[in-house]
Amino acid sequence: MSAVIAGLGITEMGKVYGRTAPEFAADAVRLAAADAGLTVSDIDGLLTNTGISGDVGLNLQRDLGLRDLRLLSEVQAYGSSAGAMVQYAAMAVESGMVDVVACVFADAPLKDPSSGAGAAYAGAGRRPAGWQGLAAASGIYSANTMYALATRRHMRTYGTTSEQLGHIAVAQRAWAAKNPLAQMRDPITLADHQNSRWIAEPLHLLDCCLVSNGGVAVIVTSADRAADLPQPAVHILGWGQAHPGYVMGPGSELGLVSGAAISGPTALKMAGVTIADIDVVELYDCYTFTVLLSLEDYGFCAKGEGGPFVAGGALGSLAVNTGGGQLSSYYMWGMTPLSEAVIQARGQGGERQVPRHDLVLVSGNGGLLDHHSTLILSPNPR
Amino acid sequence: MPVGIVQRDAATAEFFDGTARGDLLIRHCDTCDGWSAPQARTCPHCASPGLSWAPAAGTGKVVTWSVVHTKGLPPYTVGIVELDEGPWLQLQLTGDLPEDLADLRVRATFEHPEGGEAVPVFTPARVWKAP
Ligand SMILES: [Zn+2]
Repeated sequence: MSAVIAGLGITEMGKVYGRTAPEFAADAVRLAAADAGLTVSDIDGLLTNTGISGDVGLNLQRDLGLRDLRLLSEVQAYGSSAGAMVQYAAMAVESGMVDVVACVFADAPLKDPSSGAGAAYAGAGRRPAGWQGLAAASGIYSANTMYALATRRHMRTYGTTSEQLGHIAVAQRAWAAKNPLAQMRDPITLADHQNSRWIAEPLHLLDCCLVSNGGVAVIVTSADRAADLPQPAVHILGWGQAHPGYVMGPGSELGLVSGAAISGPTALKMAGVTIADIDVVELYDCYTFTVLLSLEDYGFCAKGEGGPFVAGGALGSLAVNTGGGQLSSYYMWGMTPLSEAVIQARGQGGERQVPRHDLVLVSGNGGLLDHHSTLILSPNPR
Repeated sequence: MPVGIVQRDAATAEFFDGTARGDLLIRHCDTCDGWSAPQARTCPHCASPGLSWAPAAGTGKVVTWSVVHTKGLPPYTVGIVELDEGPWLQLQLTGDLPEDLADLRVRATFEHPEGGEAVPVFTPARVWKAP
């Protein structure tokens, strides 16, 4: 009784104001159920993941009018949550405890600029006490800064350059130009990347993900159930997680090795395939650097060679972040790579469809490279 | 950027007692004599929860750094510093900084913003002159 993704729901995305995260979440689940050819009342399991605006939790059951659920939990592993939810849903389906699980993420950090409020991600203005307060008082309150520190460490250790990271931004924007859902579709050049303003050196603006309001949900059910449903089933062949727990001291691999080094082999082994078999790669890309590090740790190139790899044309031959990713399409945490993976695995990518899409690798990444998830998806069963 | 205001809580009271008198307190393991960061609740070397406060020498080297650009503020520099005792601290770097900070020797000093606790920052251990 292997598990599949049978439905995908993507709400209006981006600078969409006047709707709360729970409203986006409920809409995403309704859209995913409809996409799967199911009614909302067919859902008997619900896993939720809330973004920074909060509130997407257990109440979603009542918002959707769901009765007698057999599985309900809020999942939180930051950017690795989407992958984690699909894993838990697949295990629940395969065990027989539940038939149809909706996994949903939604967030609404952008406030209507006419309201005078800034994005919740800005961080400045918060004034926590204690250790968090010490970091904030020191000027370290943004993920941008933390990833800049990790990126610089990789650069100093392996010689990675900003121009090399720029190749990732440029390649993903080219994919986004073919994605009607993408927020940023105008082509960019390496010079645009280099000339974009500094956020936290060595990260330029075009190294950093977007911020989006919206919601994405997927429906996980059994292959048997999906056989009668309208969409091509996307089989969940393998999965893994890794949470490095970096030591903050000598010997730390922070910025040098991510959880993909463990999560990847776990997932590939479960799927019975190797990294060389992968056709489409959908990587969590909060920053260009996250993509580069993940490519190394999954074994698409050797450790430390991510820079020359992406600058040497690899992104022309390897299909990476085919919807434009979080850098150029939309930022829905791990649902960004997962949603594009489902579209590609189904063969519904339109102008951007990768011709060979038998094996799709999806990553999730959360915290400062602290949490990683991997899924291996396929239009074919094991 | 001048450091911001931070208030103590129960977990940081002793640490900020230290910064007030010019000591950079870190954690010392009662079991294995290992050092850990001030935030540690468990010894990263032996997993013992028995940690005491002890002053660090306050010297170390830069592991990684970033110049942060924020609208409305002059750029400022933050970094991870490896103390000579081993633990990594993430703090602001101030003073006359070279462009390449890799492995730069630094020492802790303390800033005293009005209305908050004394905040440690790192500054070059020796005066640095442009070549
Ligand atoms: Zn110890």
